[in-house]
Amino acid sequence: MLLHINPSSGVPIYLQIENQVKHYIASGALGPGEALSSVRQVAADLRINPNTVARAYQNLERDGVLQTVPGGRTYVAENPTGLLKSEKIRRLRPHARQMAVEGTQLRLDPQEIIDLVWQELNALEEAHERHGDLGRKAR
Amino acid sequence: MKDMAIWAEKLVKVYSQVKAVDQLSLHVPRGSVYGFLGRNGAGKTSTIRILMGLARPTAGGATVLGFAIGREQVAILERTAYVSETKILYGGLTAQELVRFTRGFYPNWSNDAVAKYARTFETPMDRPFAKLSLGNRTKVCLLLALAQRADLLILDEPTSGLDPVGVDEFQRVVAEDLAGEGRTVLISSHQLADIERIADWVGVIDHGRLLLEARLDDIKSQFRLITAAGAGLPQGKSADIVSVNSDGDFCKYVVRNNAEAFAAELRNQGATVTDVSPLGLREIFLELVRKEESCTSGNAGEIAAAVSSSI
Repeated sequence: MLLHINPSSGVPIYLQIENQVKHYIASGALGPGEALSSVRQVAADLRINPNTVARAYQNLERDGVLQTVPGGRTYVAENPTGLLKSEKIRRLRPHARQMAVEGTQLRLDPQEIIDLVWQELNALEEAHERHGDLGRKAR
Repeated sequence: MKDMAIWAEKLVKVYSQVKAVDQLSLHVPRGSVYGFLGRNGAGKTSTIRILMGLARPTAGGATVLGFAIGREQVAILERTAYVSETKILYGGLTAQELVRFTRGFYPNWSNDAVAKYARTFETPMDRPFAKLSLGNRTKVCLLLALAQRADLLILDEPTSGLDPVGVDEFQRVVAEDLAGEGRTVLISSHQLADIERIADWVGVIDHGRLLLEARLDDIKSQFRLITAAGAGLPQGKSADIVSVNSDGDFCKYVVRNNAEAFAAELRNQGATVTDVSPLGLREIFLELVRKEESCTSGNAGEIAAAVSSSI
């Protein structure tokens, strides 16, 4: 697993890690049951504080995205649901609002804004299929 | 207090009428990497010298690893590795000789660590210390500190003179061997970019006073830059509003708490809030230190408010 962070960004480092892990999972680069690098390894590779990595992993675990087994290894959860539907929507709403505000300010039609989301969803699905093919070939 | 590696209360140090340290309280949690940040002459080194027993506080007190400074200084020194700001050791001795001289003082000393870090940092081991460049002197100082395998490392400007590769190796060692092993590290520096990567706690000191002490992630979550446009926007500072810059009907606010509430308030007053964005440590540091400067030349009440709200 390769992560990249920008320490001088105003976005806390643990959030940058959470977002990248989520993206890897959404695009299929990390599959269910796959092991993540240890907290120590990630910290040493990125030259960041292990507490920061641990915080990111803990948050992802709390959200049901990751699972840690006794002994310490962390895996992508088999069924990464966990959260209630209402909670998922609550988290996504600010992003939707941002899309709506930015899109309106840029004078895009509502349909064009919605099409953009569709395109991103399709890109993720294609990435997912590619990773699936790669996985089958590797086996 | 038990879970604090360093606990200082209202330290004061006066050097011939200059207050180098002014009512400074410092709380360094065990297992943290604590970035102790300030400008030149802010009081970082004076504070560290008090903790290491090299200077006596004019007032106030502190414990280091649970031991009282002064009274139990030997116990502190046995357990604390220290790299001084000046990086001055016996000039005639080589690193190899300095190792032999130093190791007897420390119960946890590791010769394996000496070999490991000499390789990591490519430290010249057989040339007199006085003949080394600043970067290589720093490497020798780091080597001697790391080999002590201490519970607490107090590093005053530990990357001075190091090239980018040296800085990168230093950060890997802090991440993997120090923080990864649960040791506590206090790094005094004004290299904000280096600190931002590796620290989980930061304390900002200016004119001998602590302006801010918090988790770095929390600081980044709290501070926001808000840009707004509208007639009659508020111009006053407060505990939450660190700075205001205006140009006609446009205003830029740096807000340290409750940014969303403040943005909502602006919208209610009919303003257009164009952006609410996070700030990096560099920008936050500059805002805090500049606010402090404008306060110093301004009124005393505002200083008191600023200081009490930041602790």
